[in-house]
Amino acid sequence: MKNTIKIERARHNLTQGDVAEKIGVSRQSINAIEKGKYVPSTVLAIKIAQLFKLSVEELFFLEEGEEL
Amino acid sequence: MKSSYLLPNKYKIPGWIILIIGLILGVFLRFTDFESDVLEIKVLAISGGGDTIINNSGLEDASDYFRVIKNSVLDEITALMIIVGGLFVGFSKEKVEDEFIYKLRKDSLVWAIIINYVILMFTVIFVYNFSFFNILVYNMFTPLLIFIFRFNFLKAKS
Repeated sequence: MKNTIKIERARHNLTQGDVAEKIGVSRQSINAIEKGKYVPSTVLAIKIAQLFKLSVEELFFLEEGEEL
Repeated sequence: MKSSYLLPNKYKIPGWIILIIGLILGVFLRFTDFESDVLEIKVLAISGGGDTIINNSGLEDASDYFRVIKNSVLDEITALMIIVGGLFVGFSKEKVEDEFIYKLRKDSLVWAIIINYVILMFTVIFVYNFSFFNILVYNMFTPLLIFIFRFNFLKAKS
């Protein structure tokens, strides 16, 4: 699953640590999600999207032929 | 992230201290065969309280149950320190506990168990006699220690 967290962070001038702190998760989580290494739970995905005032689907998208 | 089995974060530092003292004592005991009389006290032996006897199947404890014997408890204390310290370190909450940390912990546990038994299988095949007894002694602690190492490695990497 791809995402545009890095772009949105740059747009809002936030570090990974800032985002983590605002949402109440660890910095490692934001880093892993941003790199596409970890697919967040629905709750966490919604929280991140809300922080950037976007819908979840504007922030996260499936890649072509993505498997579960 | 709610998880019922984890200790509060304040157990982390005491855990590390107990674990490290335990490991230092363990290495010291291992390489000096240090048997102290200072900590020799009377203990209750539910099993293994009898004399060691030699029979046709090798060394064996005489089957005596529930006996009070004298024993130096330094090695027992050392083992308990490694286990208690290890459990505190491995199963106390991180400062920020969330779903990703929870996943790292679970993955590390699975990884540690698999690696531990792969190594144990190797030693079952290639290590014999008293050397294998030593392997079993290490194996009391290796699942916990590999888990702690792996978890902290993954956490530091991400």
